Amino acid sequence: MSEEATTASKSFFAAFGHAAEELVKTLVKTFLSPFGIVAGIIVILGLILTVLRFTGGLAAVTNLSDYNAWGIWIGFDLLTGVALAAGGFVTSAAVYIFGMKKYHSAIRPAVLTGFLGYALVVAALHYDVGRPWRLPYPFIMQQGTTSVLFEVGACVALYLAVLFLEFCPAALEWLGLKKVRNLAVRLTMVLTIFGVILSTLHQSSLGALFLIAPSKLHPLWYSSYLPVFFFVSSIIAGLSMVIFESTLSYRYFAHKMDEEHMNERDGVVLGFGKAASFVLAGYFAIKVIGISAENEWYLLGTPYGIWFLVELLGFVALPCFLYAVGVRDRSPKLIKWAAAWSVLGVVINRLNVSVIAFNWHLPSADRYFPHWMEIAISIFLVTAGIIAFRVIVTMMPIFYEHPDYKDAH
Amino acid sequence: MAVSRRKFLGWMGAAGLSTAFGRPAYAAKKHFKGHPDSFGILYDSMLCIGCRKCEAGCNIVNDLPVPDRPFDDLSVLDSKRRTDPKAYMVINRYDHIETVKGPLYRRIGCNHCLEPACASSCFVRAYTKTKTGAVTYDASVCVGCRYCMIACPFDIPTFEYDKVLAPRIRKCTMCYPRLIQGKLPGCVLACPKEALSFGKRTGLIKIARERIRKYPDRYVDHVYGEHEMGGTSWLYLSGVPFKELGMREDLGITPAPELTKGALGAVPLVVGLWPVLLTGIYAMSKRKERIAREEREKAVATALDQAKAGAESRLSEALARAEKDKQAAIEKEVKKALEKAAETQTEEGA
Amino acid sequence: MAGVLFAATLVSIYTTGAQEVKELPGERDSGEIRADVITIDTLAFFGDLERPEVVFFHDLHTDALEKKDKDCLACHLSENDRLSLKFKRLKDTSRQEVMDIYHADCMACHKEMSGAGERTGPIEICGECHRDKAKAMSARQPMGFDKSLHFRHSEATKDKEPDKDRCELCHHEYDEKTKKLFYAKEREGSCRYCHMEETEEKRISMRLASHLSCIDCHRKTLAKNEAKALAKNKIAGPVKCSGCHDLNKQKMIKKVKDVPRIRRKQPDAVLIRANGQETEKQRLATKMNPVPLDHKAHEEYNDTCRVCHHASLDSCSKRCHTVAGTKQGEDVKLERAMHQIGTNKSCLGCHESNQREKRCAGCHAFMEKGRKQGTDTCLKCHMESLQVSTEVEQKPEALASMLLESRRAITDTYKDKDIPEKVIIGELFYEYEPVQFPHRKIIDSLVEKIKDDKLANYFHGEKGTICQACHHNSPVAKKPPRCVSCHGKPFDEKNLLRPGLKAAYHQQCMGCHKEMGIEKPKPTGCTDCHKVAGTSRLYD
Repeated sequence: MSEEATTASKSFFAAFGHAAEELVKTLVKTFLSPFGIVAGIIVILGLILTVLRFTGGLAAVTNLSDYNAWGIWIGFDLLTGVALAAGGFVTSAAVYIFGMKKYHSAIRPAVLTGFLGYALVVAALHYDVGRPWRLPYPFIMQQGTTSVLFEVGACVALYLAVLFLEFCPAALEWLGLKKVRNLAVRLTMVLTIFGVILSTLHQSSLGALFLIAPSKLHPLWYSSYLPVFFFVSSIIAGLSMVIFESTLSYRYFAHKMDEEHMNERDGVVLGFGKAASFVLAGYFAIKVIGISAENEWYLLGTPYGIWFLVELLGFVALPCFLYAVGVRDRSPKLIKWAAAWSVLGVVINRLNVSVIAFNWHLPSADRYFPHWMEIAISIFLVTAGIIAFRVIVTMMPIFYEHPDYKDAH
Repeated sequence: MAVSRRKFLGWMGAAGLSTAFGRPAYAAKKHFKGHPDSFGILYDSMLCIGCRKCEAGCNIVNDLPVPDRPFDDLSVLDSKRRTDPKAYMVINRYDHIETVKGPLYRRIGCNHCLEPACASSCFVRAYTKTKTGAVTYDASVCVGCRYCMIACPFDIPTFEYDKVLAPRIRKCTMCYPRLIQGKLPGCVLACPKEALSFGKRTGLIKIARERIRKYPDRYVDHVYGEHEMGGTSWLYLSGVPFKELGMREDLGITPAPELTKGALGAVPLVVGLWPVLLTGIYAMSKRKERIAREEREKAVATALDQAKAGAESRLSEALARAEKDKQAAIEKEVKKALEKAAETQTEEGA
Repeated sequence: MAGVLFAATLVSIYTTGAQEVKELPGERDSGEIRADVITIDTLAFFGDLERPEVVFFHDLHTDALEKKDKDCLACHLSENDRLSLKFKRLKDTSRQEVMDIYHADCMACHKEMSGAGERTGPIEICGECHRDKAKAMSARQPMGFDKSLHFRHSEATKDKEPDKDRCELCHHEYDEKTKKLFYAKEREGSCRYCHMEETEEKRISMRLASHLSCIDCHRKTLAKNEAKALAKNKIAGPVKCSGCHDLNKQKMIKKVKDVPRIRRKQPDAVLIRANGQETEKQRLATKMNPVPLDHKAHEEYNDTCRVCHHASLDSCSKRCHTVAGTKQGEDVKLERAMHQIGTNKSCLGCHESNQREKRCAGCHAFMEKGRKQGTDTCLKCHMESLQVSTEVEQKPEALASMLLESRRAITDTYKDKDIPEKVIIGELFYEYEPVQFPHRKIIDSLVEKIKDDKLANYFHGEKGTICQACHHNSPVAKKPPRCVSCHGKPFDEKNLLRPGLKAAYHQQCMGCHKEMGIEKPKPTGCTDCHKVAGTSRLYD
């Protein structure tokens, strides 16, 4: 090896060594904080349950049955997780494609949330599926191209890669690998477009999964427009999650935020709030159109109908209204509450479609309620995500610009 | 990135044309009536006596584990059962049906649909609709995602939740291995009354219709499975409305794959159209930026010019004034000097 | 804009009527079920109703009035010593007047009772009588006479002269010329022959007629009984709705066994032939054999005459069911009137329904419904005429009697020595031992069950007919084929409808047992018929 190369590789390894040291330090610091103690307990419990899951099978840790094959690991971790991680594509689309530069500082946090979200989705999948080591089979063995799930899998896998590449610049900056980082940054535009395409496809396909079971999903939730509903509500979820995450991050990581970030914060909240209000209104309209198209008005008086109205009026119409008022009054506080409420609404919608209004016709003895261990593992995964977020945000230039690359764009 | 209007419109047109002329994702409505000469099984609930010999036959032929309660224990029928990993097929008993004296029975198990939802939904193609009519399951590729259980309108596939390393889906195979050897399925062989008739599906429909014709008071005029979910290989006859036997009458005749055709068909459309749309939006937003920048520069330039012009005029004014002052001062000095000289002269003259 | 969209959605919900969220069908609580529900919609005669009809519980009111020692006359006026069925009026005059009568008189009584502090009906609020959703459903069962009830009535009216029938008390006809009702002796028939579903110009409906005649007579008898202080053993018929129209009360009506034949000089035997056979020329012109009918026997088989004589006591083909069919007979040709399966009005229909009796069903349930029989079966009824004198020929009744007497009606089988006592069924040998089948015992039992049924005996006259129950699809013979002659491997594509041998056995045996209500052996009692064998090569 030439001298130059040796020095280069030496610095490469030095960079990694440095980074590893910092990572360990941050982890230790994280777990010693009050948050860390609680998180630590959850993580330990989660690890125990993981062992249980992989020694006792699904029967040992879940309430899944032959009638209810999908529980909250699919309903919450997968469906909701993917929807809430939509902030990545929404924000990068807004900034890079629609040219709204004033939201620039929101990109990295959104992409990080997205990346961690999708990573957790894939992790949850490993728990839920019977033989997780066979997850690559649809790609390498036999392609079930008639299946919506195949399309979901392919798009999610590709999109995870896209998010990883979009997140890379921050990590590479942290590692000090300038050349690689510059290369990664050049991919941004292509990745953004690719990301929007993939997101459209898999967000809608998650809804399309249920098209095959009209006899099992309550008619108020079943519609041939399910893919459209899921896609539009994922945009809402993305916008709301960015606002929600920005609120929480400010509370805990304000010391990490640089000037650009601080200045743009309120603008992000107001701007995204405005967008969310519009999209919620549109979503409300298409949901009503969906009912009208099947002439299902009479169902609104049934118990499930009342619950549907709670979801539609309380968690779609209401946040739409709250967003609108918040934007008009220029009140970030109201918008933040609307965002939290919206996120809750998307969670409720996904749970409705997958477990609550699903198998609605079965007698209550055959209905599903999650085992506490399922809930515990879901919490464990979310906690792991939060820990990862915390660690990354502490170490890497997410909320601030790395001094070496200050004038990079 | 500068895109000319012409180029942009050209791309849009190309995208639109390609989607219009490209092979559509779904063909015109075709109705799959089953592979020709495929087999089926006709279950006649008016002939069934609930003896459970079919369950025993299935158990023997598929090497399933011995059940807790033997097959001749008919008190098992006191409660309603469903398929589970140890029982591919179960018989349920229905008492207290208004119009008939005595109980009626019903078989639950895979109906081997002509266009199976499970096969359509499986993302590793673990299910195959064979030419014999049987829908088979290949455990060697199954990932255990259980989407087939969600998809099946009859809630048939059952999963080995308690297995860790090799959990499989279990369901009736129509004894496919026996069929290809020319043998009869286990349940069919076992039934003493031929409540289970085996044969070509088309022939079975003829038999069913003939039974209804001969005994109109005994049977409901409907062959269940002839059209349900696009048609199934297992057909059912009943003397009472099928829903009294716990069979769903609201499934419709649309085969399951058709339900997701639309959504899947939209995928290539999105892949084709989105890049164009997004690039177009990007181009338009860039253009807007550029125009905004140009206008700004122009405004700055005009402002500068104006400022310069203003400054120059002020300068020239000031210079003129200064010149004037200078002239005035010079004149004043000259005058003073002249006066002084005149004074001195007068002083000298005196 | 969000607000506009929201408002637009609300408007569209309102305009499409979503706020009128209805219950799902089948979920409404129907409340009570009563036999005395009367729907008062009298004003519909005068035009569209403004308010919903009033649902009125008649027995409720009768009971309430009874407690006050009031009877029918409290609400019903009487004319010519007969009670009017209308409420406090004899005629429906005008809309306003009828409405006023109802309102004033109903509410007057309610007000009175309410004033006395008693539970009573609605007073001022319109909607409490004119309800949108009825509180109760009508469970009124139709009522009719049968032989037994008719006999009890004819006995009851013979008070004064024990052996003299007083048919004229109820039976009458209408004279168009004199426009009066009169009694026509030996032409008595069912009320329903004249009194139809709806009231016509000069004819009240069956409902009105029966209530006028029956209730009034019962009421008067009751009054008479009470006046004579007679005890409850001399009862009269019911006067309350539920007495006749309540299902449970109907079941309690005393049935007389062995009712003596109604005396109306009806024929013992009848020759059924097409209309227009009076003259000899006509008789010679027709080729079809007439059918002799044992009318006396058939009177015993049915509970009322109306089963066959559903519209009049005349001959079927006189005015309605001619060979070609008439409008009056609703285009039902004579052939259909005699042979239509599925109704008890026709000969064949009633005979066919007899085959559903348990003792017949074992064989007959498995015969295809509506199958075409051989033409020689027609000759069973359309008997070849005997050689008779013209004298007899001109008297159809005599001819019919002679034909009937010439019939032989005995279920016959072969002699015991020709019927194997036990048959060993051992063709299949998988899981069970051969069956020791009690062949002769079964045949004997079948014959025993039907030996007193004339219909069965007449049609099973030929030896070997009974054997056809199991030895089917083959000619009648002393040595009929064994099951295995035709039934072999199942699922033969060329013989789709033929069960295999195992199913042939089980379907035949179990099917017959089920239809005949034979509980032992149970179909699932495998070892009741054959012992378990050691081997099982069933699945090889």
